[in-house]
Formats: sequence, C-alpha cells, structure tokens
Amino acid sequence: MNVVARGHAAGTRQPLVDGVEKVTGRAKYSADLPFADAYAGAVYRSPYAHAEILELDVSAARALEGVIAVVTGDDVNHTYGILPIAMNEYCMAKGKVRYRGEPVAAVAAVDLRTAKKALSLIKMKVRELPQYQTAEAAQAPDAVLLHDDKPGNIEREVKHSFGDVAAGFADADLVREGTYHCGEVTHLHMEPHACLAEFDDERQELILKTCSQVPYYVHLMLERCMEMDSSKIRVIKPFVGGGFGARTETLNFEIIACLLARAAKGKVALHLNREETFLTHRGRQETIVNIKIGLTKEGKITAVDQMVKQLGGAYAGYGIVTILYSGSLLHGIYDIQASNYHGQRIYVNRPPCGAMRGHGGVNMRHAFESLLDEMAEELGLDPFAVRRANLLTAPTQTLNGLLVTSYGLDQCLDRVEEGSKWKERWGKLPKGKGLGMACSHYVSGAAKPVHWTGEPHATVNVKMDFDGGVTILTGAADIGQGSSTVVALAVAEVCKLDLGRIRVIANDSAVTPKDNGSYSSRVTYMVGNAAIDAGRALNDVLVAAAAAKLDAKPEDIEVENETYRVAGSQDPGLTFKEVCAQALVDTGCITVKGTFTVPTEFQGGKHRGAAVGSTMGFSYGAVVCEVDVDEDTGLVSVDKVWVAHDCGFAINPLSVEGQVEGAIWMGMGQALSEVTTFNAKNGLPMHANLLDYRVPTIVESPPIETYIVEANDPNGPFGAKEASEGALPAFMAAFTAAIYNATGLRINTLPVTPDKLVEALSKKQHRDKVEAAKRSNA
Amino acid sequence: MTEVLPEFRVVRPATAQEAAAAHRDNEGARYLAGGTDLIPNVRRGIGDPDLLIDLGGIADLKKIEVGANGARIGAGVTLAHLAKNAQIAAAYPAVITAAKSIAGPGHRAAGTVGGNVCLDTRCVFYNQSQWWRESNNFCLKYKGDTCHVAPKSTYCHAAYSGDLAPVLLVMGAQVEVTGPEGSRTIALPDLYGEDGQNYLALKRGEFVTAVLLPKDVLPTVYEKMRVRGAIDFPLAGVAVALRRDGDKIGDLKVAVTGTNSRPFIVEGIEELVGGPLSDEVLDKIGDLVQKQVSPMRTTLVAPFGRRRIAAALARRQASALFAG
Repeated sequence: MNVVARGHAAGTRQPLVDGVEKVTGRAKYSADLPFADAYAGAVYRSPYAHAEILELDVSAARALEGVIAVVTGDDVNHTYGILPIAMNEYCMAKGKVRYRGEPVAAVAAVDLRTAKKALSLIKMKVRELPQYQTAEAAQAPDAVLLHDDKPGNIEREVKHSFGDVAAGFADADLVREGTYHCGEVTHLHMEPHACLAEFDDERQELILKTCSQVPYYVHLMLERCMEMDSSKIRVIKPFVGGGFGARTETLNFEIIACLLARAAKGKVALHLNREETFLTHRGRQETIVNIKIGLTKEGKITAVDQMVKQLGGAYAGYGIVTILYSGSLLHGIYDIQASNYHGQRIYVNRPPCGAMRGHGGVNMRHAFESLLDEMAEELGLDPFAVRRANLLTAPTQTLNGLLVTSYGLDQCLDRVEEGSKWKERWGKLPKGKGLGMACSHYVSGAAKPVHWTGEPHATVNVKMDFDGGVTILTGAADIGQGSSTVVALAVAEVCKLDLGRIRVIANDSAVTPKDNGSYSSRVTYMVGNAAIDAGRALNDVLVAAAAAKLDAKPEDIEVENETYRVAGSQDPGLTFKEVCAQALVDTGCITVKGTFTVPTEFQGGKHRGAAVGSTMGFSYGAVVCEVDVDEDTGLVSVDKVWVAHDCGFAINPLSVEGQVEGAIWMGMGQALSEVTTFNAKNGLPMHANLLDYRVPTIVESPPIETYIVEANDPNGPFGAKEASEGALPAFMAAFTAAIYNATGLRINTLPVTPDKLVEALSKKQHRDKVEAAKRSNA
Repeated sequence: MTEVLPEFRVVRPATAQEAAAAHRDNEGARYLAGGTDLIPNVRRGIGDPDLLIDLGGIADLKKIEVGANGARIGAGVTLAHLAKNAQIAAAYPAVITAAKSIAGPGHRAAGTVGGNVCLDTRCVFYNQSQWWRESNNFCLKYKGDTCHVAPKSTYCHAAYSGDLAPVLLVMGAQVEVTGPEGSRTIALPDLYGEDGQNYLALKRGEFVTAVLLPKDVLPTVYEKMRVRGAIDFPLAGVAVALRRDGDKIGDLKVAVTGTNSRPFIVEGIEELVGGPLSDEVLDKIGDLVQKQVSPMRTTLVAPFGRRRIAAALARRQASALFAG
C-alpha cells in the first residue's frame, strides 16, 4: 500500500490548482473561447415526439444570404454511442425522430440571427406516430416500436440470480415488498453545452474544443462519424463547468459542430442554450423499483428480489450499463447470500438518459434502504441496528463476484450516529420534525473500460526541463471535481516537491496522453496511481542525479523540502535547481511516464454483464437527515445533514468535503424538488428551464456535517478511494425516513413536492378521522 | 432553437408624458422598466416589439414619499430599493415582506414596483421558447387559439403571479396611471381582470406611474407558498389584514395571488367582522379562500395542493394576527 503520513502534500487541505482562474473569472469555458472569426451554428430540432420523416427540405435555408452550410442526417453515415453493440443513435435523425428536440438538421451562418432565420425556413414533412411516456404504454402489445430490432420497446432485459432465493425467503421471519417510484432527473451542470470546431480544409484537419468529461471518447466518435483518420483530429477540453455524467459520452452537438465546420471549411461555434442543454439530457431515468426483502428477527438479510423498470429515453446511450449497474450494486455493501434481479431498460419518446452521479445505483439503493427502514420498524429494530446486522468484513468477495478489499461502513455508521445524537433524539423530536438515516456505496472506477485496447487504464507523463518546472501531462478531464489537483498532489508527495513547482496540463490530445475520462469515479484511483508511478520515475531520476553530484549511492540520498543530501550528513545539500541541472546533463529535457492497470481478478465474475459494477475499491456512506415538515403547505425543509463518507485516504480533505457536500446536495435535489416532466399527450418537455426544473437554491441548502472516514484501500493511491458519489443515494432514503418520522407518512414517490405531501397528508387526516369514528362507535 | 433578441429600437424619455407620446406614435411599442420579465419573454419570441420605451430615465417614477396622507411609491422604484426603505418598513411592513419574497436578489435589483404590480400572467404553456410554443400550436394567450390548461375555455387561464398586489389590495391601495390622454387614479382591484390575456384594465398606451397607500392600514402579513425559498413565483400568496377589537374581529381582509388570472380580495370575509376568531370562523376563512381560488395546471405543481395550501395560509395568518 502506498500509504503516507499526512504532512507534505497528500493528505493536506489544498485549494484546487485551477481555483484562482475560476474564482477570478479568468477561466475560459468553451463558450468564452474567441469566436469572432467563427460562423454561428444552430440546430433544427424535431417538433414531434415520434414521427417518420417523409421529407426534409433545407433548400430555402441553404439559399438564404449569409448561410454558409447546412447539414442533415444525410451527411453522416455512422451512429455514435457507448458500447459498440448499442450505438443506435445518429447525431441528426435519419428517417425517424424519436423525441421532441432531437436534432434533425443544422446551420452555420455569418451570425446567429441569420442562422435562426435559416432554421425557420427548414421544412419537415412527417407521418406522426404514437408517442410513449410510460412503461405501460411503451410495453403495450400493440405499441409501435421505437427501434425495429427491439421488440417490446425493451432495450435490454437482465435477469441475474445468485444463491438460493426461495430458501432465503423461507428462512426469513419477515418478508415485505414495496414499490418505489423515482422521477427522472437531470444533471443541471452550470455551464450549458458549447463547443468550437475548426476544420482546416487544406490539411483536412479538425480541432474540436468542447466541454467534455471524455475527450478520448469524443475523439473516437469523431473518427467514426466524420470518417477521418484519428491523427487528423485534435480534441481539446477547456475549463468545464460541471458534468455529473452529462458529458460522459460524446454528445450529438459535438459531432454536428464538426460536420458544420467541415461543410463550412472553417470555424463554427455551437452554443446550446439552457433548453437545448435540457433536451440533450443523458440524466437519471425515471425508475420503478419493486423490491422484496427477507429478514430474520435480528434483522439479518436472508434474500432480496428486485424488479426494476427504467425509462431510458429514445436511444441506447449508456442504458445497458445502467441497467446492469442497478442489479450489480445491490451487492458490495451488505452481506447478501441470495438475490434475484430482473431489470428492464425501456425505450420511451424522451431525450436519452445516461450516466448521472451514482450511475445505476441510486434509485435502487433508495428503494432498498427505504424498505429496510420500514421492516426494521416492524421488527422493533433501530435503523442503525438493522444495518449493523448485515455488515461485510473486508477482504471478501460478493455473491456476484465483486471484490471488497476495504470497508468503512461500520465507522461511517458510528460517526453519524454519534454526530446526530441519534440515540438521544430519534423519535423524541417535537411534532413536525423528524430524523432518518440510510447507507450507500459506490465504485472507485469501473474495473473494465468500455473500449478494450490492452493499454493501461491510465497513463501520466511528467516533463522536467531547464527551467526547473515540473509539468504533469494528463488526459484526465478536470470538470470541477479537482482531478488536476489530485495528480499534482500525488507527484508532489512522491518527489517531495513544492506544490507550486508543479504545473498540470490536461486534455489536449496533441499534447497529453490518452485518458479514458472522468466517469465512474475512476480518476483519483486510476490516474492517481499512474501519477504516483510517474512521480516515482521522476524521483528516481532526481535522486540518481543528486547521488552523482554528491558522489554517493542513490539509496543514501534523502530529500526534504526540495533539498537533497546524503542521509545523516550535515552538508547543506543540493537545491532542486542544482539537482535538476545535473539530471539534464547529457540527456536534456526529461520525460517520465507512469501507468496503472487494473488486475483482471478485479474485473468481475463470469456471468454475462459481470464486469459492470466491478471495481478495485468501494466507497461507503452513511447519512442522517433532519427535516421539518410544514403540514399546512407540505413544504419539507432539511434542517441538518450528517454524512460520513469512507473515501479511504483523503488525498485532499478540503476537496473531499466539497465533493461529499455536493453529493448530498444533488441527492437532496432529487428527493425534494427536481424532476423532469413530459406532457403525457404529446411528449413536450414541460420542465426545460430553470424555473420549472426546481433545482434547490442556497436557501434550501442545509448545514452539512461531513465526517471523512478513512478505511484505506490496499491498492488505492496512498489508500484513497472514491469521494463524490457514494453518499448520494443514502440521502434520499434518509430524507423520506425522516419525513415518516415527522409525519407518519411513507412517501415512496420522488420528489416529495408540496402538492404530493399535502395530498397525502389530507388523505391521512381523512383516514385517521374515519378510524377515530370507528373506534368511538365501537 | 437558438434564442437571440429581435431587432428593436430603444428610447429613453425624461417624463411620463413623453413616454406616453412615444407609445401613441408607435404601433409596436412596449414599455420597459426593469426588464426582468419582459426581456426573457422577448428573447423567447414573445412580443416582438419594434420599440422599447425605457422608463428608467423618468426621475419622478423613482421616488418614495411617505407623508401625512399616506405613501406614494413611484412605479420605477426597484424592489431592492423598496425593501430597504425605512419609512415603508415602519408604516407598511408587509410591503417589505412581499418585496423581499420576489425572485432573487439580482431580479430585485433591476425589477420595479410597477413591473411587479403589472407582471404578465404566467403559464407553463406560455413561458416557453418559440420552438416549444410553435411545436404546440401556440396558445390562446399568444398567437394560438386554444388554452392548453382548459381546452374548452374561451379565455386564457394564465396565472397572475405578482407578490406586491395582495398586500396592496388588503391595504386599500390605488394606482396612478398615465397615458396619451393624461393621468388618472384607479382603485387597485379595478386594475385587474379575470382573463390571463387581458389581465390589466389599462387603456392603450397607459402605464402605472405610482402606487398610493392610505395613511392608516390594518396590521397586515403576507405569506408566499413556493417550492423553493428563492427565485420561484408564488404557487399561492396570501395577504391577511386584521384588526382585533377585544375578543372580536374588528376588521379583516384577505387577498390572494398566484392562483387566478388576477390578484383578488376574497369575498364574504367581511361577514366575519364583529365576531370572534373561533376554529369555526377559521374554517370559514379557509372555505372562502378554497372556493374562490381557481388554480389551474399553469405550473407543474398540482392545483389540488395549491388550493388547500392557499386556504391553510389564510387560516394560519389570520390566527397569528389575531393572537398578536
């Protein structure tokens, strides 16, 4: 294990290395890049939810003065997507449109007003088809198929069974079932989508600057859809204003901008507005979970059976991965020896869903924890006790083949129980106030990459030259989560360098080594380990140079505060500059490399789909939530949250706290007020603006007490694991449990909006009245 | 899809009379105050004015005067400025509560009293982009022939959502309006009509120049129900004014916003004056509110809840005021 003592760099509270630019406004995001010499791009989007395209006439748009290029689905021959087996989406519709807002054509013009006028001249004739907004409608026997090769409008059906489930339920003292409905939510990153594409017609070269989490995937999809040699493509990621999974795949507008740039033989700026960003979506799908749990009277889980329906939108996207995660992540947190999972990913006429913070695990975990809470009450067990009855002991392997090598959930439970004064306060708060708790977990990087190449999972280059500067070159996409800071801290730690000496250059395919991207919380773990490896290589060079200069053996050199001396000697030693100069003699500029590869034993079991959910380290979270319910208005305010997150060794505790708070906050949005809404009759997105999609404001933000638990991972960088996703699902179930504690109402439909709660409260008042009347009659 | 402002001219007259004259002479003119509502709408293709008459240059509209006969609040006073005014805070604290509850700090710094009093009615089928509305065949309020929240309706059901109005209504406010034919003063209830499309009883070219408040008003409170504690428009906003005479209700008024196409004073409340404030009377207040509000699916929060919530707010505020 690479564990280090706190003190030098790793483990210290550090502001983000790119924080100054962001705070001062100097940071240039994609839409800030100079576009005075660029044509303005604009996208014509389908006004129908489901229709066959009979005719698309762009001639008038093309003829308009000031229009430089018009492209349609005819200009692209290849689909794009994630898994090679499930790329069924074109960047502009061909033959059929499947959701309102789907791109159909695009225009590049001398200015935006001309581009907008050109859009109004595009004529599309269609034959409208029935559109579906519910699982029942899409799965009806006579439903029209969104995709001809997907009967029943099912994108993917997964059935996994482990252990003897029937025997497990037979052994249970209590078996209960529940149905939980989670509305669809979207990421709502601050920065709307934007990119700048430049095509050099003479050289047939393309440069795309875009707000991606996965510039490498974008590169691959451009190679495919543009039918270009990948060496002629350069993808650059400027500052990115958040992602949360929205930009974890190539997005249609990125390909469209490149097609426009090539057609225009120049530069095209394509800036989507907020509505279009909503329509591009890829968020967390609407989910219906039917779950059954068996418990012994001590609270030990004997069996679990769950049926999950996900409304995945109109195209595959990450859907197969999501529906697999949803089953896989049933495991890895508690000791479960018998489980059934049945998942269906269903096509509906909505913007495609995809990855979003806690990908695949969130809604299922919410359902599981909620039912567990209900059953604990029935058994007379404290919610903490029922969790403690089912803890794992690391190292262990789960029923579905996941390796758990470190486990801090027990400590997480202790911290929030103590912090919230649970024992003294739970069930004893005044009317209208309540406490609830729940747990969750997440992976530290998907162990198996989507694109299997045989290359290491991560590669980091470090350059050192005459100026004494140390430059880290990484393809890891910092999207605000602090990944550039993590790699800087890792190299600074290993080489005992001053953090200020290190510069991080990230995400320019012409300069930085390839990285799979920022998703599944893989960067700290994998790129962090590669950075440590690179740091060691650099340190070897420096120590060898110091040894040569001091006429000593490398193993006798000690480094402290950038001073190199023979161990135990009283010499003033050599400065970093002197050692650097010595190292460059005869070789010149030094470039070292570090890599990281996930061993195959971590890449999941043998069953179909087993790779999804497999990881080298699980993070764990426990949450206690305190709410105040206003029964007149149905408004729930979150008064306080206690959260403990086991992220292994916290490389940058300041950043970890920020990430954990962000996870809580995002879970709060989904639990409290955020939901996308599509008109049942016609598929119109009713929510596609910041007033109707009610993301919480700072007013709703509760005080959050964050406890970092460090159950170090044997293979993590310095022992570190995931820090930003693991606690999110726990918030949701803790929140609804707290509402129950305050009101006696179990609300199994998210979000818990005031109208929903007022209606439930009024029904309860009515029920209570009727029962009281019955009692008095009796 | 792309939203760009259409081309228009802007003039900035120095007096209300010049503003009215500019309006009279230009068919496609619109008045512009803070612009927090108008500009997003214009950007989304709602309105398409060729002239904006910026009222920001009229000094007289920016004054707050509190004197022996009451208060005169210029329509051009920003909501942020109003919220900080000590004289208004002393004499009419509920006005401050309402002003502070509007949108967010950025909006209040630009948005004006006149803009909020005359706030355009809102609906999820109306406050959308050009692409969105066009693909839905527009709506009765603008360019279309169907009200999507009530398809059989002959008039528009968009909801009035200003926060100042209910407080001003229970305080007995008047508004001063100026137009091409000069100025006049009208009682606030007469400014509004129950039609989301024609919700203001202003003649062509008229605009509100000031809000006039009487010297003595009843103790008043305002409570706004919304999902989020900032930014959101009211799903129901209730102002209650109550004076207690010993054990009896000396005077009582209730006004509501956010549920109908106009803010209105709840009728029948006056019959409760002179009686006690028993649970029965509170129920009666709740019933009157619940019967007279008519929330529609103009927002994504269901009408059933909004109706009950409006009633609950009226009950609890009346109760709180009575208790002192």
